[in-house]
Amino acid sequence: MEKPVEAGRRRFIKSAIGAASALAMAKMAPTWASPLGRSYGDVVNADPAVDLHIRREDMDIGGKIGRPITINGSMPGPLIRLKEGQRARLNVTNSLADDTSIHWHGIILPENMDGVPGVSFPGIKPGETFQYEYDVKQNGTYWYHSHSGLQEQLGHLGPLVIDPADGDIGADREHVIILSDWTFEDPDEVFRNLTVAEGYYNYQQRTLGDTFADIRRQGLAKTWEQRSMWNKMRMSSRDLLDVTGSTYTYLMNGRDNATNWTALYKPGEKVRLRIINGSAMSFFDFRIPGLEMTVVSADGQPIKPVTVDEFRIGVAETYDVIVTPKSDRPYTLFAESMDRSGYVRGTLATEVGQEAQVPDLRPVPERGMAAMGMSHEMDGMDMSSSEGDESGMGGQHEMHGDHGGGMAASQQRPSAPDLGIEHAPGGHGPAAAMIARNPVSRLNEPGVGLEDVDHRVLVYGDLIGAHPWPDEREPERDIELHLTGNMEKYMWSFDGVKFTEVDGPVEFKHGERLRLIMVNDTMMDHPIHLHGMWMELENGQSPRPRKHTISLKPSEVVSLQISADAPGSWAFHCHLLYHMKAGMFRVVNVS
Amino acid sequence: MRKPEIVVSLVLAGVCGPVWAGHAEDDWPEPVKSYRTGQILFDRLEVTRTDNDEDVLVWDMLAWYGSDRNRLYFKSEGENQKDDGEPTELESAEVLASRLIAPFWELQGGVGTRGSLASGAERENYLVFSLFGVAPYRFEMDNSVTVNEDGDIAATIEAEYDLRLSQVSYLQPRMEISAAMTDAQDYNRPSGLNDIRVGLRYRYELSREFAPYIGAYWSRSLGDKADQIRAGGGDDSETGLVIGARLWF
Repeated sequence: MEKPVEAGRRRFIKSAIGAASALAMAKMAPTWASPLGRSYGDVVNADPAVDLHIRREDMDIGGKIGRPITINGSMPGPLIRLKEGQRARLNVTNSLADDTSIHWHGIILPENMDGVPGVSFPGIKPGETFQYEYDVKQNGTYWYHSHSGLQEQLGHLGPLVIDPADGDIGADREHVIILSDWTFEDPDEVFRNLTVAEGYYNYQQRTLGDTFADIRRQGLAKTWEQRSMWNKMRMSSRDLLDVTGSTYTYLMNGRDNATNWTALYKPGEKVRLRIINGSAMSFFDFRIPGLEMTVVSADGQPIKPVTVDEFRIGVAETYDVIVTPKSDRPYTLFAESMDRSGYVRGTLATEVGQEAQVPDLRPVPERGMAAMGMSHEMDGMDMSSSEGDESGMGGQHEMHGDHGGGMAASQQRPSAPDLGIEHAPGGHGPAAAMIARNPVSRLNEPGVGLEDVDHRVLVYGDLIGAHPWPDEREPERDIELHLTGNMEKYMWSFDGVKFTEVDGPVEFKHGERLRLIMVNDTMMDHPIHLHGMWMELENGQSPRPRKHTISLKPSEVVSLQISADAPGSWAFHCHLLYHMKAGMFRVVNVS
Repeated sequence: MRKPEIVVSLVLAGVCGPVWAGHAEDDWPEPVKSYRTGQILFDRLEVTRTDNDEDVLVWDMLAWYGSDRNRLYFKSEGENQKDDGEPTELESAEVLASRLIAPFWELQGGVGTRGSLASGAERENYLVFSLFGVAPYRFEMDNSVTVNEDGDIAATIEAEYDLRLSQVSYLQPRMEISAAMTDAQDYNRPSGLNDIRVGLRYRYELSREFAPYIGAYWSRSLGDKADQIRAGGGDDSETGLVIGARLWF
């Protein structure tokens, strides 16, 4: 798909890594993840069709043999480059023993090309080839992945980059960075462990020692107040990610920390990094110590540039950043899992083989209590009233908004509209262990663990669309959905009802403009993805940023404007793979 | 594997078949399928050395299969004293259907049997209802009421708490209280509180699935039952040391 890099450069790479290790590396990581990246002016995918071959095969992953799903022999799959305005033709051949599929994440396309078995098509049977074909009407950084079972956890994913019609990438060079989480366990076994043994992968729980430390620091009364709140609710303030570094090897372009994926630059160049979180269950905090990053695109859509030192990337989200390293030295590309149970690093360097200092993992953050005291995060939380025993969590409601050192932009951020959500008495039944009694907008908060960092952290409130979107009508109606969960039983759902229990799709009227309001009634962050249509985030900014995946913090409410312009059935779900599998999935029907 | 699944499906009342929630052709698969799973858990599998120098093998296990809302349980407790020539004593063997009625609570109902496992021994058969789950402050509880064929009503409360010492080690206090609502002299359960047993175990996880432990317990008979034991010249209290493992698969 890519024009071969010039011979001189290729020789340089080969001599740097040696023939034998070059072979190993090619097997270990996709060939597209070339350290050279791609300079502005290279010809992009001129082929009329792309053939993708899906197989299961042994592969070295971080020094150990795993058995991932590969696409054209690599895991993650090849970088697919398309050009805005072209007709995409993608032939997917299934050589697995099971059905498979590819969903083009974030791409606006016809219903039957969306690649969700059971919603858009029947799936691709073993031995079959499915021809995807659609007009490419957008540009930016996206990705693709299987929508069949738990195949995504096996590495059935890859980056998808669409160049603008004019070919201008806004930088001298670019690199694609896809983050993923690999486990040598069988994904079905991971799911079973989550369902039968709560906290199976969490080796960062609070212990008696933490409680003693709290008592020493803040006294018995305060500690008792905090611990009793959590324990009454039967929840853990350290329940940050369900599946952690205890089983995951985090990968950057398919390579682990030791293999150190390297991206090359020349001092003074503007380098565009296209960062994709292709992991199954892991939120990452991404930074390049010593380099500031100017975010120019979110979920493939252009935004007004905002300069930060770090950003959190939810599962399935993408961000494009521009960096301009001036000095002739290596920088660490550092992606730390949100729960600090692990990280993956690569290096931005002037020569292959260079390394920069790798930061230490930061301490395990704690929900709510990070701010010491009656944290705002806990306000408004209440266990489900369906059980009758009130937990008495109705503390003082504090002002939300900018707080700690997470301020990213220099300008004052506007606030999102106040939606005044009220819950009906009774909660959402046994499938919801909690309701957020006073859900509030948290778009201007950087998120758990980033509240007190001493540098600029991107928040959703910073995102401003680069230009207005075509549909400027006010929404005609609101649709409200609540994110619900029961960690103990590993039940995840919308409005307390799993997909297998709902009585019909969420109905959008074709052509209408609507407002989707989502309330997170759980103690976890959820990346919610709508297929087929953009969601414009009501963050108070104008123009609004638009996204395909929106992450909600615990007890948060967000509102999104949607133009229901895509007739057909579309998946709508939490992009945490095992949450989707557990039932946090709906079909949206536009008719 | 297919057959038990069908049987269990039939047993688990209230499981509705998946309702199609989208738009698709009839022969398309469901985008998200319902699932069932299960677990066999020996919460206690231990050897006890009592203060009378008796060695007793004790088990306390459960097994379940089903979905998140509806499950089928098998629970059993019992003991066998080494070298006493007596058969194994089955404290309970129960089959229960279970329904999640609140986020942390399952309501369970079924049938059980208890008594000596000796051949020809008369065992006590009963109906059992349990409230099984996690109470505020994370107490794991199994509260049961049983009614036998004679109409005798008995109740037990079991509570456990895991105090986390490290990521893989725990101190586990445990308490069990049994009582009888009606006089059941045939089964040595006079009306009123019958027994209390408390224990403390230190457990170390070699893996999440296998955790050996050591501990101690103290038990005592109460009320009329204690009086009867003392009248018979017996000892109404007992202490012991335990060594065992918690394991699941």
